[in-house]
Amino acid sequence: MRFSILTYETPDNFAARSDSRREQLFGAVFRYIEELRQAGVFAGGAGLELPHTATTIRFRDGERLVQDGPYADSKEQLGGLFVIDVPDEASAVAWAKRCPREPGRVVELRAHLAPLNLA
Amino acid sequence: MNYTFLIYQNAAAFALRTDPDEKKRTAYRSVWPPYTQALRDAGVFVDGAGLEPPQTAVTLRNGTGQVQDGPFADTKEQLAGFYIIDVADLDAALEWAARIPAASGSVIEIRPNLVAPPAQSARPVSSEVAEARP
Repeated sequence: MRFSILTYETPDNFAARSDSRREQLFGAVFRYIEELRQAGVFAGGAGLELPHTATTIRFRDGERLVQDGPYADSKEQLGGLFVIDVPDEASAVAWAKRCPREPGRVVELRAHLAPLNLA
Repeated sequence: MNYTFLIYQNAAAFALRTDPDEKKRTAYRSVWPPYTQALRDAGVFVDGAGLEPPQTAVTLRNGTGQVQDGPFADTKEQLAGFYIIDVADLDAALEWAARIPAASGSVIEIRPNLVAPPAQSARPVSSEVAEARP
Protein backbone atom coordinates (compact mmCIF):
# COMPACT_ATOMS: atom_id res chain seq x y z
CA MET A 1 0.00 0.00 0.00
CA ARG A 2 1.54 3.24 -1.13
CA PHE A 3 1.53 6.53 0.73
CA SER A 4 2.99 9.97 0.12
CA ILE A 5 4.64 11.68 3.06
CA LEU A 6 4.31 15.37 2.14
CA THR A 7 6.58 17.75 4.03
CA TYR A 8 5.58 21.39 4.45
CA GLU A 9 8.32 23.82 5.45
CA THR A 10 8.52 27.28 6.94
CA PRO A 11 10.45 30.07 5.17
CA ASP A 12 13.19 29.58 7.77
CA ASN A 13 13.51 25.88 6.92
CA PHE A 14 13.84 26.78 3.24
CA ALA A 15 16.49 29.36 4.18
CA ALA A 16 18.41 26.65 6.05
CA ARG A 17 19.05 24.92 2.71
CA SER A 18 21.57 27.58 1.79
CA ASP A 19 23.15 28.62 5.08
CA SER A 20 25.29 26.99 7.76
CA ARG A 21 22.46 24.59 8.64
CA ARG A 22 22.47 23.06 5.15
CA GLU A 23 24.56 20.00 5.93
CA GLN A 24 22.56 19.12 9.03
CA LEU A 25 19.25 19.65 7.22
CA PHE A 26 20.06 17.48 4.21
CA GLY A 27 22.06 14.99 6.26
CA ALA A 28 18.95 14.18 8.29
CA VAL A 29 16.91 13.73 5.11
CA PHE A 30 19.46 11.41 3.52
CA ARG A 31 19.68 9.33 6.70
CA TYR A 32 15.88 9.06 6.71
CA ILE A 33 15.87 7.92 3.07
CA GLU A 34 18.55 5.36 3.93
CA GLU A 35 16.42 4.07 6.80
CA LEU A 36 13.42 3.77 4.46
CA ARG A 37 15.58 1.94 1.90
CA GLN A 38 17.02 -0.47 4.42
CA ALA A 39 13.53 -1.24 5.71
CA GLY A 40 12.50 -1.97 2.11
CA VAL A 41 9.71 0.58 2.13
CA PHE A 42 11.23 3.40 0.05
CA ALA A 43 9.34 3.78 -3.23
CA GLY A 44 10.43 7.18 -4.55
CA GLY A 45 9.80 10.82 -4.03
CA ALA A 46 11.32 14.19 -4.76
CA GLY A 47 12.81 17.18 -3.04
CA LEU A 48 11.42 20.36 -4.53
CA GLU A 49 13.27 23.56 -5.32
CA LEU A 50 12.25 26.68 -3.41
CA PRO A 51 8.62 27.83 -3.70
CA HIS A 52 9.55 30.98 -5.62
CA THR A 53 10.86 28.79 -8.47
CA ALA A 54 7.35 27.40 -9.01
CA THR A 55 5.14 28.11 -11.99
CA THR A 56 1.39 27.75 -11.62
CA ILE A 57 -1.16 27.00 -14.31
CA ARG A 58 -4.80 27.70 -13.51
CA PHE A 59 -7.31 25.74 -15.59
CA ARG A 60 -10.54 27.64 -16.10
CA ASP A 61 -13.20 27.02 -18.75
CA GLY A 62 -10.72 25.76 -21.31
CA GLU A 63 -8.26 28.58 -20.61
CA ARG A 64 -4.85 28.08 -19.07
CA LEU A 65 -3.51 30.99 -17.04
CA VAL A 66 0.22 30.74 -16.33
CA GLN A 67 1.69 32.60 -13.35
CA ASP A 68 4.99 32.62 -11.50
CA GLY A 69 5.01 31.36 -7.94
CA PRO A 70 3.45 28.51 -5.99
CA TYR A 71 -0.24 27.71 -5.79
CA ALA A 72 -0.81 28.31 -2.09
CA ASP A 73 -0.15 31.66 -0.45
CA SER A 74 0.34 30.00 2.93
CA LYS A 75 3.40 30.60 5.09
CA GLU A 76 4.38 26.95 4.87
CA GLN A 77 5.01 25.48 1.45
CA LEU A 78 5.55 21.98 0.15
CA GLY A 79 9.25 21.12 0.38
CA GLY A 80 9.18 17.61 -0.94
CA LEU A 81 7.61 14.21 -0.70
CA PHE A 82 8.62 10.67 0.15
CA VAL A 83 6.71 7.74 -1.35
CA ILE A 84 6.61 4.63 0.81
CA ASP A 85 5.16 1.18 0.29
CA VAL A 86 3.97 -0.36 3.55
CA PRO A 87 1.41 -3.00 4.64
CA ASP A 88 -1.06 -0.62 6.29
CA GLU A 89 -1.82 2.89 7.48
CA ALA A 90 -0.43 2.29 10.96
CA SER A 91 3.00 1.53 9.46
CA ALA A 92 2.73 4.63 7.30
CA VAL A 93 1.94 6.80 10.32
CA ALA A 94 4.88 5.27 12.20
CA TRP A 95 7.24 6.15 9.32
CA ALA A 96 5.75 9.63 8.98
CA LYS A 97 6.48 10.21 12.66
CA ARG A 98 10.13 9.36 12.03
CA CYS A 99 10.47 12.05 9.37
CA PRO A 100 13.37 14.27 10.52
CA ARG A 101 12.23 16.99 12.89
CA GLU A 102 12.67 20.63 12.03
CA PRO A 103 11.01 23.58 13.74
CA GLY A 104 7.65 24.27 12.12
CA ARG A 105 7.79 21.34 9.71
CA VAL A 106 4.37 19.77 9.08
CA VAL A 107 4.03 16.28 7.64
CA GLU A 108 0.91 15.20 5.75
CA LEU A 109 0.34 11.55 5.02
CA ARG A 110 -1.90 10.56 2.13
CA ALA A 111 -2.70 7.12 0.70
CA HIS A 112 -2.26 6.62 -3.04
CA LEU A 113 -5.03 5.57 -5.34
CA ALA A 114 -4.45 2.45 -7.41
CA PRO A 115 -1.13 2.86 -9.26
CA LEU A 116 -1.09 5.53 -11.97
CA ASN A 117 -4.82 5.94 -11.88
CA LEU A 118 -5.49 9.52 -10.93
CA ALA A 119 -9.19 8.93 -10.59
CA MET B 1 15.98 17.69 -15.40
CA ASN B 2 13.18 16.49 -13.18
CA TYR B 3 10.06 18.54 -12.51
CA THR B 4 7.12 17.76 -10.26
CA PHE B 5 3.56 18.61 -11.28
CA LEU B 6 1.38 19.12 -8.22
CA ILE B 7 -2.26 18.79 -9.19
CA TYR B 8 -4.71 20.71 -7.03
CA GLN B 9 -8.44 20.15 -7.43
CA ASN B 10 -11.54 21.71 -5.94
CA ALA B 11 -14.24 19.85 -4.03
CA ALA B 12 -16.41 19.52 -7.15
CA ALA B 13 -13.64 17.66 -9.00
CA PHE B 14 -12.98 15.35 -6.04
CA ALA B 15 -16.72 14.66 -5.87
CA LEU B 16 -16.68 13.38 -9.48
CA ARG B 17 -14.63 10.39 -8.30
CA THR B 18 -17.66 9.07 -6.43
CA ASP B 19 -20.45 10.64 -8.48
CA PRO B 20 -23.58 8.43 -8.53
CA ASP B 21 -23.69 8.91 -12.30
CA GLU B 22 -21.36 6.29 -13.75
CA LYS B 23 -20.86 8.34 -16.89
CA LYS B 24 -19.49 11.23 -14.87
CA ARG B 25 -17.22 8.91 -12.86
CA THR B 26 -15.95 7.31 -16.03
CA ALA B 27 -15.47 10.66 -17.75
CA TYR B 28 -13.36 11.81 -14.81
CA ARG B 29 -11.27 8.64 -14.59
CA SER B 30 -10.76 7.86 -18.23
CA VAL B 31 -8.76 10.98 -19.08
CA TRP B 32 -5.76 10.15 -16.90
CA PRO B 33 -4.37 6.86 -18.31
CA PRO B 34 -3.93 8.33 -21.83
CA TYR B 35 -2.02 11.29 -20.42
CA THR B 36 0.21 9.00 -18.36
CA GLN B 37 0.76 6.85 -21.44
CA ALA B 38 1.69 9.92 -23.49
CA LEU B 39 4.35 10.79 -20.90
CA ARG B 40 5.66 7.24 -21.05
CA ASP B 41 5.67 7.15 -24.84
CA ALA B 42 7.67 10.38 -24.88
CA GLY B 43 10.15 8.85 -22.43
CA VAL B 44 9.67 11.62 -19.87
CA PHE B 45 7.66 9.78 -17.22
CA VAL B 46 9.47 9.28 -13.91
CA ASP B 47 6.73 8.74 -11.35
CA GLY B 48 3.20 9.71 -10.49
CA ALA B 49 0.30 8.94 -8.22
CA GLY B 50 -3.26 9.90 -7.54
CA LEU B 51 -3.95 10.57 -3.89
CA GLU B 52 -6.92 9.50 -1.83
CA PRO B 53 -9.15 12.50 -1.01
CA PRO B 54 -7.99 15.14 1.47
CA GLN B 55 -10.31 14.00 4.25
CA THR B 56 -8.33 10.74 4.43
CA ALA B 57 -5.10 12.60 5.24
CA VAL B 58 -3.29 12.45 8.55
CA THR B 59 -1.25 15.50 9.51
CA LEU B 60 1.62 15.50 11.98
CA ARG B 61 3.03 18.62 13.58
CA ASN B 62 6.60 17.56 13.29
CA GLY B 63 7.90 19.83 16.07
CA THR B 64 5.41 18.66 18.71
CA GLY B 65 4.43 15.21 17.49
CA GLN B 66 0.75 16.24 17.49
CA VAL B 67 -1.32 14.10 15.09
CA GLN B 68 -4.55 15.33 13.46
CA ASP B 69 -6.96 13.95 10.90
CA GLY B 70 -7.33 15.90 7.68
CA PRO B 71 -4.99 17.68 5.32
CA PHE B 72 -2.52 20.36 6.36
CA ALA B 73 -3.62 23.14 4.03
CA ASP B 74 -7.04 24.76 4.37
CA THR B 75 -6.99 25.97 0.77
CA LYS B 76 -10.04 25.68 -1.49
CA GLU B 77 -8.19 23.34 -3.83
CA GLN B 78 -6.39 20.36 -2.39
CA LEU B 79 -3.58 18.17 -3.67
CA ALA B 80 -5.12 15.38 -5.76
CA GLY B 81 -2.03 13.82 -7.27
CA PHE B 82 1.35 14.43 -8.81
CA TYR B 83 3.60 13.53 -11.69
CA ILE B 84 7.37 13.67 -11.82
CA ILE B 85 8.76 14.08 -15.32
CA ASP B 86 12.25 14.34 -16.80
CA VAL B 87 12.54 16.94 -19.54
CA ALA B 88 15.17 19.30 -20.94
CA ASP B 89 13.92 22.54 -19.45
CA LEU B 90 11.06 24.48 -17.89
CA ASP B 91 9.49 25.28 -21.26
CA ALA B 92 9.15 21.57 -22.01
CA ALA B 93 7.75 20.99 -18.51
CA LEU B 94 5.16 23.74 -18.99
CA GLU B 95 4.09 22.26 -22.32
CA TRP B 96 3.44 18.90 -20.66
CA ALA B 97 1.72 20.54 -17.68
CA ALA B 98 -0.67 22.43 -19.97
CA ARG B 99 -1.74 19.07 -21.44
CA ILE B 100 -2.79 17.66 -18.07
CA PRO B 101 -6.45 16.64 -18.43
CA ALA B 102 -7.54 18.50 -15.31
CA ALA B 103 -11.06 19.80 -14.86
CA SER B 104 -11.88 23.50 -14.88
CA GLY B 105 -10.99 24.99 -11.51
CA SER B 106 -7.88 22.85 -11.15
CA VAL B 107 -4.48 24.36 -10.51
CA ILE B 108 -1.17 22.77 -11.48
CA GLU B 109 2.00 23.83 -9.70
CA ILE B 110 5.23 23.00 -11.52
CA ARG B 111 8.35 22.84 -9.39
CA PRO B 112 11.91 21.85 -10.37
CA ASN B 113 13.21 18.94 -8.30
CA LEU B 114 16.27 19.26 -6.13
CA VAL B 115 19.32 17.45 -7.40
CA ALA B 116 20.93 15.45 -4.63
CA PRO B 117 24.65 16.13 -4.32
CA PRO B 118 26.28 12.74 -5.02
CA ALA B 119 28.55 12.96 -2.00
CA GLN B 120 25.58 13.43 0.32
CA SER B 121 23.26 10.90 -1.24
CA ALA B 122 26.02 8.30 -1.01
CA ARG B 123 26.75 9.08 2.61
CA PRO B 124 26.44 5.97 4.75
CA VAL B 125 23.96 5.81 7.59
CA SER B 126 25.62 6.94 10.78
CA SER B 127 26.03 4.45 13.59
CA GLU B 128 23.72 6.48 15.86
CA VAL B 129 20.86 6.15 13.37
CA ALA B 130 21.63 2.47 12.89
CA GLU B 131 21.40 1.94 16.62
CA ALA B 132 18.13 3.85 16.84
CA ARG B 133 16.51 1.57 14.30
CA PRO B 134 14.08 -0.90 15.85
